[in-house]
Amino acid sequence: MTAPIAMTTDNRVLVEAAYRGLAQTWIEFESALAQVPVVARLLAGKLRLEDYRRLLFNLRQQVVEGSRWISRAASNLGPDHEELRSLFVRHAVAEHRDYRLLEDNYVAAGGSAEEIRAGRMNIGSEALSAFMYHAASRPDPVGLLGAMYVIEGLGERLAGPWSQAIREQLGLGDEAVSFLAYHGANDGDHLDMFDRALAFAIADRATGDEIVRHARIVARLYRLQLEEIDHG
Amino acid sequence: MQPVYVTATAQCLPGAPIANDRMADYIGRLSPEAERFGRLTLRQNGIRSRHYAIRPDGSSDWTVAKLAGTAVRDLIANAEIDPGAIGFLASATTQNDLMVPGLASGVHAESGLPPIELASLQSVCASSMMAMKAAALQVAAGEHRAAIAVGAEFSSRYFRPDFYRDTATAKSDGTLPGDAEFLRWTLSDGAASLLIEDRPAAHGLSLRIDWISLRSFADRFAPCMTGGGARQPDGSLKPWSLHDSATVAAAAGAFQLRQDVDALYRMLPVWLGEFMRLVDAGRIDPGAVDWFLCHFSAHSLREEMARLAERAGCMIPDEHWFTNIYDKGNVGAAAIFLLLDDLMRSGRLSPGQRILCAVPESGQCIMAYAAMTVVEGDSQ
Repeated sequence: MTAPIAMTTDNRVLVEAAYRGLAQTWIEFESALAQVPVVARLLAGKLRLEDYRRLLFNLRQQVVEGSRWISRAASNLGPDHEELRSLFVRHAVAEHRDYRLLEDNYVAAGGSAEEIRAGRMNIGSEALSAFMYHAASRPDPVGLLGAMYVIEGLGERLAGPWSQAIREQLGLGDEAVSFLAYHGANDGDHLDMFDRALAFAIADRATGDEIVRHARIVARLYRLQLEEIDHG
Repeated sequence: MQPVYVTATAQCLPGAPIANDRMADYIGRLSPEAERFGRLTLRQNGIRSRHYAIRPDGSSDWTVAKLAGTAVRDLIANAEIDPGAIGFLASATTQNDLMVPGLASGVHAESGLPPIELASLQSVCASSMMAMKAAALQVAAGEHRAAIAVGAEFSSRYFRPDFYRDTATAKSDGTLPGDAEFLRWTLSDGAASLLIEDRPAAHGLSLRIDWISLRSFADRFAPCMTGGGARQPDGSLKPWSLHDSATVAAAAGAFQLRQDVDALYRMLPVWLGEFMRLVDAGRIDPGAVDWFLCHFSAHSLREEMARLAERAGCMIPDEHWFTNIYDKGNVGAAAIFLLLDDLMRSGRLSPGQRILCAVPESGQCIMAYAAMTVVEGDSQ
């Protein structure tokens, strides 16, 4: 366990309410993901190598933008949110070459580097990425913490089991699943950081509601991205 | 709607308590491997003793209807009300003695009650809450002045070695897969009942039922605890009745109870999320719960879940949990009524205290909660 979260009694109730909203958003998201065709095939042990390649191909086009929208959000966090800005900047640094893992995995799974680098976003990735840049471009985009909660939650809760299942179902080596395996192993730490960020950020109910609202939007758009994998 | 009250409670646990080291005398011995798995399961569920309605030779004088009927007879004996004024009986169980007719008919026959309206609720643990809600609404709507909800289980009879031998479930050395073995070391027998009236008992304490909430999440979960079907190679569940014959179905293991434990753990966040929904809806105030009656043990909540609950202000402190599972076992659809009966007899209740009942069902994922307030009769 990490050190206790730095919460004042003033915002404890607000932070707890935001956690309830985020947790319920996550639970609905996780349940709904299981119905998305590519995830359903994975959970049923019926994934094909071409499914996995398309997953990597589609994820890469969105992940390559990840640290860019986080950086833009950081630049829009004003003097009242210095702590948060520093967290966002560190987060952007930690993630900004993640897409290379996806490219390496794609090649290890039999794809070509040129092909994945030349790829375009699917409809869901376009919507997700556009929303991220839109939200990050607003002044003091604290609501994006909700977006990070969903994306880091994917890493912490799903990436590990998914990487394991993919390895087993497709007989792939570590070099082909390192993106998912890395997030499965590390996003727990990112969520600890998130706990501190939430405690800093939530000064009023409106902020908590915004964070939960962003989480719900991103959960829906992320699911759309995975649904669109089959409509390449 | 008319306020409704639990005015009496009763239980029927057959025979003497059976300690862990004597379990295999009753449910029988499949293999040393099976017993090792059993010891592991018992360490996880923390159960120390339970009751069985079978004798060591597998014979029994009980049926699930008799267990429930006895719990109803004792309930009526404890109650202030004349049995003729009770208009409704709802029964809850996982598996009835017969496939046809419903359990409530069998319970009515055993109960000594005159003609009465019935409802047979069949599911798994949450069938208790379905029966309680049916009974509470019958009284709240003014349809009947008093109603009974009874839950009963007699699962040990399915756990005998001969129910597994020579079926596709058992390996040649008698070992069962975890999803079949797990329940042999988890479930046991018994019944418990509630009387629900349109007024508190004149003497002693009653429980006003403030609300009952039950929600299914079968929109997102496949069957997880099952009986009556055999798993096919493609993962689907084939009902026993669609096999070529009853004998073929039995050989395929269709008549065994199974629990997919991994799927059960995937349900934990959904059950907790339902708690959070009720907090946000203003129904549950975690800080105002005096007695939390939860049909799963606190230590089975994994650390991750406890942490999530704590961060969301949804953790009810240990000292407010009331449990009897360690001594009375897991009696499925009877469990929440058994908890309420033990709490009522504990001498620890006082007027104004708030009770929260929680009954998760792994079957295909249901979560039920109910809130009650302790009230005193007016003839004190």
